[in-house]
Amino acid sequence: MEIIKFEKIDSTQIFAKNLKTPEPWLVVLAKEQTTGRGRGRDFWYSPKGGLYFSVILPKSNIEDLQTLTIIAAFIIGKYIKEKFNLEPFIKLPNDVYLNGKKVAGVITENVIEVKEVKFSAMGIGLNTNIARFPKDLENTATSLKIELGKEVDNEKILKEIIEGLKEQLKVISE
Amino acid sequence: MKIKIGEKIYDIEIFEEEEEGKIKIRVNKKEFIFGEEKEKEISIPRVSLPKRNFSKKEILAPIDGIISEIFVQESNFVKKNQKVLTLSSMKMENELISEFEGKIKEILVKKGQKIKKDEVLIRLI
Repeated sequence: MEIIKFEKIDSTQIFAKNLKTPEPWLVVLAKEQTTGRGRGRDFWYSPKGGLYFSVILPKSNIEDLQTLTIIAAFIIGKYIKEKFNLEPFIKLPNDVYLNGKKVAGVITENVIEVKEVKFSAMGIGLNTNIARFPKDLENTATSLKIELGKEVDNEKILKEIIEGLKEQLKVISE
Repeated sequence: MKIKIGEKIYDIEIFEEEEEGKIKIRVNKKEFIFGEEKEKEISIPRVSLPKRNFSKKEILAPIDGIISEIFVQESNFVKKNQKVLTLSSMKMENELISEFEGKIKEILVKKGQKIKKDEVLIRLI
């Protein structure tokens, strides 16, 4: 798996969108984002400790990308449930909650000419090893560390999510 | 008689001309007259359906969604591959780029508007 790693970046999605030769399944990973994006103009709080990445998706049918975006939240939810024995809740279309607080979000951005998808990148923000949130977020956001009381392996989770996405896209496109 | 090509409907009427062997075909009020010898030389689709009707410069919605940003204005010139608007579908942000170069004749949507797949969003000339 090819990964471009950053200590700190404005947004992995912005970097992915500006790649000259975006190869499918290339991952852009950052330890910290200064302007992490959610859907629309939403901001994704991205301090050190969390898992923030974008993955270039292979050129696919737009409806398949839409399905994959919803399924991404399920892949993350399922992983959290199975590996950490927590009870995640998926808020459609693309957020994952734990104990009523947001733990992960997914955004897919496409560039489309007529009906052909020229470029597609999925950005995922997963609050993993964040010890605490600022006051304005502490009632709405949580992390795996807060819920589990221990740290998790970000790179391992990243690999599992990418594998899950690859498998699902294969199924969807068939 | 109506013929649908792509999304456009052509109103076609055929008349026999008084002059022997000539046929008049009216396509959306435009008239074309054919003689027997001409029919052999010129293919009917090329004559009766002008090329510009086949290459309508329209930007269509690829999917249902809401217009979240419009980056151009009427009478602006756009280049091929220029970003014209962003369409948010429930789970995605879709940046639409123009496949044409041209002047924007009409923007048929507003920011925040809900649109359906295949709806015409922008017309260029």
